[in-house]
Amino acid sequence: MMEVFLQNWIYLIGAISLFGIGLYITLTDENIFKIIVGLNIIESGTNLFMIAIAWHPKAVMPIYTATNHLVVNGKVVSADPLPQSLVLTAIVIGLGTTALALTIGVKIFEKYGTLDVRKIKEAKR
Amino acid sequence: MNIFNNAALLIGVPLLFAFSIPLFGLISKELAKWVTLLTIGFNATFSLYILLAHKYPAIVVMGNWLPPFGENLYIGPVAALLVSVISVIGLLIAIYNLWAIKRGDVIRFSILFLMFTAGASGMVLTGDIFNLFIFMEITGISSYALAAFGPERRALGGSFKFLVVSSIGSTLYLMGVTLIYTQLGTLNIAEIAARINQTTPALLTFAGILIISGLAVEAELFPFNGWVPDTYTGAINGVSASLSGIAAVSAVYALFRIAMTVFGRSGGAYVTTYGKIDFMTVIAILATATVVIGELSALSQKNVKKMLAYSSMAQMGLIAVGLSIGNELGVYGGIFQLINHSIAKSMLFLIVGILVAAGVGENIDDFKGLWNRNPFLALTFSVGAFSMLGFPLFGGFWSKFAIVAASVQRGGWYDFVIGLVLFASVVEAFYYLRIVAYMFMSDTKQAKIKTPLIPAIPIFILAVSIVAIGVLPQLVGTFSAQAAGEFTHKMSGYVLNVIPTIVAH
Repeated sequence: MMEVFLQNWIYLIGAISLFGIGLYITLTDENIFKIIVGLNIIESGTNLFMIAIAWHPKAVMPIYTATNHLVVNGKVVSADPLPQSLVLTAIVIGLGTTALALTIGVKIFEKYGTLDVRKIKEAKR
Repeated sequence: MNIFNNAALLIGVPLLFAFSIPLFGLISKELAKWVTLLTIGFNATFSLYILLAHKYPAIVVMGNWLPPFGENLYIGPVAALLVSVISVIGLLIAIYNLWAIKRGDVIRFSILFLMFTAGASGMVLTGDIFNLFIFMEITGISSYALAAFGPERRALGGSFKFLVVSSIGSTLYLMGVTLIYTQLGTLNIAEIAARINQTTPALLTFAGILIISGLAVEAELFPFNGWVPDTYTGAINGVSASLSGIAAVSAVYALFRIAMTVFGRSGGAYVTTYGKIDFMTVIAILATATVVIGELSALSQKNVKKMLAYSSMAQMGLIAVGLSIGNELGVYGGIFQLINHSIAKSMLFLIVGILVAAGVGENIDDFKGLWNRNPFLALTFSVGAFSMLGFPLFGGFWSKFAIVAASVQRGGWYDFVIGLVLFASVVEAFYYLRIVAYMFMSDTKQAKIKTPLIPAIPIFILAVSIVAIGVLPQLVGTFSAQAAGEFTHKMSGYVLNVIPTIVAH
């Protein structure tokens, strides 16, 4: 019973928890680099969520070969390939955002001499 | 179903030239600026041709896969109108940038600006809910980088804030899209719209909350708009103008395409929504809060750019109130107001840009006696301010009037909404008229300001178009009435034009 539950839900629960952890870090932390890490955790959570909904415990790979039958007794048994391709796009976008965020973080450190959000707010202009 | 594949050039040409700008930059930096101008000029010409020659409704089919299988673009009345607005405003800002971007990295700025325009046009044109996410991120990432551009260090803080809030928003949107995909197995907006009734109501509500809160970040609705004041104030003025004139247009479009076409149900004269919560009600509440909070915060600002930023937030709220009424008059008013706002607010930011470059400060007190120092800028600023507060004979009057009329027509609790909005308009009138009074009433001994020729051209065109729309509202009104028809008639306006054979469930 527990095993079935874990098989079906563990990835979804994990993905949502990652999302929550990331959101918590992003909203509460005062260090700019930790905020960026939080953003990355949020993105990982979303990507894992998308992969998890396309998958079920007995799924086969979505490639048709002589021995790998995608449809058994009229039911599709393969994993859904579309969310996986969407995740590839989302990962690339996440990479771009992270790179830009780190660049801005470095610039902020050069100009303000600190990475603490509160101190940046106190420094006028 | 008409197929008009050439319209894909509206996205393709700016993207192509964006990435070939470094090659032109090798020859000369001036050439890079002119290539940007010509590319957006092509977009403006082509989109105006589509709008005026009435080439819509049509779809663009990728790789001969007809919808719902392939990815498609849809050019309806809304998309044709808004893509014209985006590219014409983009063209005018590009003319301004010829003068404004003197120092610094011209080439990178040009790349980002073209990407930004391409992404915003893509958001308006696309017919696929995941491509909407991609275009949102293209617009988003280029606008974070644009917002960080410039010599001042406050730009960095604003840009970082924008980046964090906006990436969380787009991640929420992606989650919502995934949830809808699990239910229906499709990403095509038309097919989702036709089959939305087949989803589980609880899951649809959850997906709706995720999507609407994700899109509300860029549409500047409360409480997702904390980034607005810092980003608009920090960015250089050309960028603030394009954020409020271009990015806001596509963001509002995306929000209401989802809320009205995908989740909407046109019952009688009003669009309502599926799911356990009526999303239009939620949007109306958020939008009213945005208007009140935005205007009251703008009132207390001493910095003109910050005041314009808060005013921009409040105007987006007003637009969302108009669209959320859900009848044709309300949507007409909302779209009309969107266009008026994007013309007037980008003009105001460009004027502030000239003044700052001339050494006038950004504070309200620095505007004292501007009429004596430079009559042209004082006059155009007043034209923009009058359009913002909805003075008769200026563009904003007709749209605000339509929104008020539509609220009265709807009645019920919208009486309360419009009461709050009108209260906020009084506040808005106060702080705009305060600046106008400072400009005209005060005397100053300070030296006169010369108006540079190149940035004066876009400001002149924008000011003339505000007055022209004010005198002849049908210039924009006919197109926004068609757009209102597309938004309020979900099946005949959108879905059946994309997939003629589909049956609504």
